[in-house]
Amino acid sequence: MGRYVVRRLIQAIPVVLGATLLIHAVVFALPGSPAVARAGADGLPPGAAALLREHYRLGEPFLVQYGHYLAGLFRGDLGVTFAGVPVADLMAGRFQVTVNLVVTALVVEAVAGVGLGLYGALRYGGAQDALVLGVTLVLISVPALVTGFVLQLLLGVRLRQAGVGLFPVAGIAEGWRGYLLPGFVLAASSIAYLARLTRAGLLEALRAGYIRTAVAKGLSRRRVVGLHALRNMLIPLITYLGADLGTLMGGTVITETIFNLPGVGRQLADSIHLREQPVIVGTVTFLVLVYILANLVVDLLYAVLDPRIRHE
Amino acid sequence: MRIVKSARPIAGVALLALGLTACGGQATTSGSVGDQPVRMELREPQKLLYPGDSLETEGSEVMAAIFAPLVNYTDEGKVVDNVAESIKTSDSRVWTIRIKPGYTWHNGEPLIAQNYVDSWNYNANRDNAQGANGSFIRVEGWSDLNPPEGQPLKTKKMRGLRVIDDRTFQVTLTKPFSQFKTMLGYGVFFPVPKAALGPDGKITDEYVKKPIGQGYFKFDKPYNKGVDQVIELSRYDRFPGKKPKFDKLQFKIYTDSEVAFNDLRAGDLDIHDSLSPAAIAGAKAEFGERYLDQVDAGVGYIGFPLQFNNTYENVKVREAISLAIDRRTISETVFSGTRAPADDFINPLIDGYRANACTVCVYDPARARAQYVENNGPKVLELGYNSDDAHKEWIEAVANNLRANLGVKVKVRSFEKFATMFNDLGDRRYGGMFRAGWAMDYPSAENYLSPIFSTVAIENGSNFSGWSNKEFDSLLVKGDTAPSQRESLKYYQQADDILIKELPYIPVYFYRTNAAFSQNIRGLKINMLNQIEWAEIEKVS
Repeated sequence: MGRYVVRRLIQAIPVVLGATLLIHAVVFALPGSPAVARAGADGLPPGAAALLREHYRLGEPFLVQYGHYLAGLFRGDLGVTFAGVPVADLMAGRFQVTVNLVVTALVVEAVAGVGLGLYGALRYGGAQDALVLGVTLVLISVPALVTGFVLQLLLGVRLRQAGVGLFPVAGIAEGWRGYLLPGFVLAASSIAYLARLTRAGLLEALRAGYIRTAVAKGLSRRRVVGLHALRNMLIPLITYLGADLGTLMGGTVITETIFNLPGVGRQLADSIHLREQPVIVGTVTFLVLVYILANLVVDLLYAVLDPRIRHE
Repeated sequence: MRIVKSARPIAGVALLALGLTACGGQATTSGSVGDQPVRMELREPQKLLYPGDSLETEGSEVMAAIFAPLVNYTDEGKVVDNVAESIKTSDSRVWTIRIKPGYTWHNGEPLIAQNYVDSWNYNANRDNAQGANGSFIRVEGWSDLNPPEGQPLKTKKMRGLRVIDDRTFQVTLTKPFSQFKTMLGYGVFFPVPKAALGPDGKITDEYVKKPIGQGYFKFDKPYNKGVDQVIELSRYDRFPGKKPKFDKLQFKIYTDSEVAFNDLRAGDLDIHDSLSPAAIAGAKAEFGERYLDQVDAGVGYIGFPLQFNNTYENVKVREAISLAIDRRTISETVFSGTRAPADDFINPLIDGYRANACTVCVYDPARARAQYVENNGPKVLELGYNSDDAHKEWIEAVANNLRANLGVKVKVRSFEKFATMFNDLGDRRYGGMFRAGWAMDYPSAENYLSPIFSTVAIENGSNFSGWSNKEFDSLLVKGDTAPSQRESLKYYQQADDILIKELPYIPVYFYRTNAAFSQNIRGLKINMLNQIEWAEIEKVS
């Protein structure tokens, strides 16, 4: 398994390089000049603008710029923002917030999604099952932008005005509680998908031959469902959760903006606005890395869950 | 096994968690704790914190809390000495500035005249690429610090700046400029302490994270731009002027104005001074006395690319376009009353404004149509705006006015940023009309004229139209050199008359400031530089 992990990590290198090249090219192709974006609306005297262009290598051809970026990357230098802040410092400071948010969302998603799915499947065909289907339908159809602002108003503003300060409206000044609402909003549509996946998976598993055998040999319902049915339907769930990490990471752009969380997602939105090439490339590369690692972990988990799968 | 045991209880918990909110914890917001700071909304400053570069609204808000300017402005726009004890001149060219005793930097050093000279030399130096650079163009020796492109600097000092003693320095301008004293309240003229400059003569990395000022508040700890979400300040007790009545001030950084407004409503924010039109609709009813609506010194225009395109050469056509714009409806409907129709190039807050001075800034569709047809105006008009701010709606409204009233086709173009639009004009990739705006630097009629419309401002300033008029330029010079403010103003108004006659830009609206504050404070006052008067605010206990 060690060799498998090493091989996968080596395979990741061209993917990361390709991603940086692609992002560089996209940012390079954007209309307008970054020197202009840097200078602001008032403009700069011609001499100062020339100095800036030189400093940020803005006048040079694309491949030369990219070469310098890569060279910096190997030295651990991610470049500096237009305001002169090292990108590495920026990422280090913001990274934790996004991790907290995504982990919260993932936990909420797993707990609520699997919970709802199981609840529905075990009461298949009943009113509760219909309720689960209805709730998931709503969660899927309402976009995060709407859920975000509505919950912020109802659970943030209104509750606080009523003297109940459980959910901060925005920001992380109150620690972990600041992540609850955004975590739920970020996870909302994923909860629904996961719930439906769980429900369908469990229903299918319950109809399988081995379950009939298990019931026939007199096992309790709890053991039948828990040990036999659930374990066999876990692989699609884990796959979904792993792949969903990428979706959640992408979703932070909106959620972090609504809830004013100083994470990587909001940083990405801001830097695209300012055309801050080093920040955009750095952030996206980081997201690619997270995605690659998450997929690796998922693949390794397969082996744990299903003894038939072996990574050589 | 592990998973299952908890599966059913968890399903319950998940639902419970949603229901729990109704009966959760204790309020953490209301009630006033003694050392709870006054919390003010801010968007992230664009630059690191240094007076020569923090010129945009957000950075300058922070600067204004930690620095004290040489002069202040009264509500009527009169200039009064603040840190300055006297500012004297006999010819409007050589100015002697003496500072009051007793001012100290937040690190304990006394404030001396050299601090001003150091700061101004730094700001005017091309190699430091400070946004403030152009503000020093009138000082003798500026051109030594800004030689033509490619040439190295021979000096780091402007010869027009001379320290006389610890509390006095002299500024020599290249030409007389009567408004120089008025200018000095602008943030670019703040001094910097010795501690700000490193051995290489550059501003140190520590300083731009934790600037040391000589004003109301001092930084408690460094602010890491891009990471930190609050800037924490506390009152500087050795400040010799009128001090604020509270100890702690906190700037909270938001990206979205709506989110900040929600925080304000929930009691987690005390001052929000840039309410969005959406918030304003309900703010008046919700905040009552705690809602502020006042004139702002800014102006919004539609500009003509006169230097780049002769489509708009005929002034009669420009007038017709101006007459076709329904400023009142745009101000009241599109902007929900957060703008006022413009009727002069000079803002109503400023001495020299004349109501209804712009006779072609009225809405007269019939006359517009007749005049446009008579002068064979272009069949297709282009109108550009920058989409990084909320301009789309009003630009579309103007375009509809022109379509309906002039019977022309109007193509609306959006640009990423204002500077992109202007660059495309220069490169001839775009040749249409454009939106423009002006936020005042210092309250003088001159500030609404020379930086935007003088010939010099094409190269070094904000003359985006490229319009150039000798008579206008010479009236500005007359105003700059006139012996008294009254006479200066007379010339500036004559220059204003030329603008109204020639219309390089069309004034469309004057901005308004809309702010709201929480129940935790009272006495919010916003001055004409759009800055909070910190010494006026009281906390409600």
